[in-house]
Amino acid sequence: MRRIKVILVKEWRESARNKMILFGAIFLPLFMVAAALVMVYQGKGIDVPAAEVALFNTALMYFLILPAIIPLAIAAYSIIGEKEQGSLEPLLATPISDLELFLGKALASVIPSLIITWASFGLFIGVCILLLGGLPPHVLTPPWIAAIFGLTPLLSLFSVGVTMLVSSRASDARAAYQISSFAVIPAIVPLILYTSRKTLVSLWLIGLEAVVLVAAGAIVLYLAIKVFQREQILTRWK
Amino acid sequence: MIEAQKLTRTFGAITAVSDLDLAVEKGEVFGFLGPNGAGKTTTIRMLAALIAPTSGSATVAGFRVGRENRSIRQNVGVLTETPGLYKRLSALDNLLFFARLYGVNSPEKQAERYLRLFELWDRRDQLAGGFSKGMRQKLALARALLHEPQVLFLDEPTAGLDPEAAKVVRDLIETLRTRERTIFLCTHNLDEAERLCDRVALFKTRLVALGRPSELKERMYGRRTVVRLLDPPAGIEEALDLPFIKRIERDDGALVISLTDPERENPILVKRLVELGAKVQSVSELDVRLEEMYLDVMEGDDAAD
Ligand SMILES: Nc1ncnc2c1ncn2[C@@H]1O[C@H](COP(=O)(O)OP(=O)(O)OP(=O)(O)O)[C@@H](O)[C@H]1O
Ligand SMILES: [Mg+2]
Repeated sequence: MRRIKVILVKEWRESARNKMILFGAIFLPLFMVAAALVMVYQGKGIDVPAAEVALFNTALMYFLILPAIIPLAIAAYSIIGEKEQGSLEPLLATPISDLELFLGKALASVIPSLIITWASFGLFIGVCILLLGGLPPHVLTPPWIAAIFGLTPLLSLFSVGVTMLVSSRASDARAAYQISSFAVIPAIVPLILYTSRKTLVSLWLIGLEAVVLVAAGAIVLYLAIKVFQREQILTRWK
Repeated sequence: MIEAQKLTRTFGAITAVSDLDLAVEKGEVFGFLGPNGAGKTTTIRMLAALIAPTSGSATVAGFRVGRENRSIRQNVGVLTETPGLYKRLSALDNLLFFARLYGVNSPEKQAERYLRLFELWDRRDQLAGGFSKGMRQKLALARALLHEPQVLFLDEPTAGLDPEAAKVVRDLIETLRTRERTIFLCTHNLDEAERLCDRVALFKTRLVALGRPSELKERMYGRRTVVRLLDPPAGIEEALDLPFIKRIERDDGALVISLTDPERENPILVKRLVELGAKVQSVSELDVRLEEMYLDVMEGDDAAD
């Protein structure tokens, strides 16, 4: 546990000096909050129910994109940065275990992505109340709450697993970032598809999405942990 | 402190290290010399419990490689081939991170101690990315020492440094020699090995030779006396009929005479030369540089392959 914390602190120190990561962690969430606000604002008084539904579904989707996207940059740099600096070998020469290192790196991406996602959602709710004079309908409903608090950790974990796998093979952080985004997008396809449906996102859909993410996440994390072994890192990683 | 028996590592079809037997004593500075691709880094990685041997066994700081890897890592320090510092972290943060990973008691104190020792204290808040090569190497060396390891592995500590920086690092290594610390030094720099090491191993996938630098030289060449004569008379080699002389060669006009005990035999040799009418100008002992020996050994090894 102690060593995981040491890794976390170091990752965050390094990230704080990385423009790519800061951009993803600050501007992207602000953009998503703004976009969600626009959707909700437009959807509020609309008298075509189907259009209203679509707008609300889209607003929710923005908050699910965040935990999938924010970890990409952090995780990609936390692996490829080590490769580029040649710092993996001294790091692996310490008594840290393979699993501690993996967890330290993974949590370094998952924790901020969740905090930022939830803070963005809080900001969104706050601005809704302030500007729209109260909470819009369909926002603090069980499916939304289930999605915001139940799906986001799963999305974040899945995204981190994918990025760590890709980064073990790649030697360029931007390339790893891009490849990982392509791999992560399918995870939110069901939600994207729902933005054109005529019904609001349901608990049933969120549940299904959760099951899919747990399965996909388990596979990806299992593979990533397997790749994350000293021997492999030192002899096979490119 | 370091013991290896038949230590072997292959990568697919390539054998990087083959049947290495070693015993390095506590407090010894042990030189591990070999050309590029000899398997030096692979050997360090196995002994520092970073990669597993394909076969054979080793004990480092009293712990078995493969069974007690974590204890080995806790008790050895590694200066890797490249410094591998975090460029976006300050010199101090680089050290604090490692001190904490090693579970050092008071990371701040330990980091300060080595930053001061290596004259980097004034630069502690500067990002490591802005350091010169020599400073980086010093910082990396400090990092390898933070947890006061019993065994220190140095992988080409002066490679790629300019002569001045190399000297600074070499002098530092010299100060690290204590009775408690064993140093395993990989290098292609033979002067460095000769100056710093108690014993050296010449290595190319397998162990080629092992011993004190002076001992190795003696074993290979015996001892030789160089005699310079003014107008050496013809046939002087044949006329020199002393029983202890093993061989006489001519090198650039001088006579290079192989014998076993120059302290006792040189006076007799000079007396005989004078009797034979030779005009002796100078008598000296031939000092083979480790470099020559290294080249000879490695060439001989190539021929044997
Ligand atoms: N991960 C690896 N995969 C395949 N082959 C490897 C690997 N690591 C080392 N080798 C091979 O093992 C041999 C020894 O390499 P090693 O790096 O140990 O040599 P070295 O003595 O440290 O060389 P140098 O002086 O260039 O640092 C080389 O032929 C190298 O190509
Ligand atoms: Mg090497």
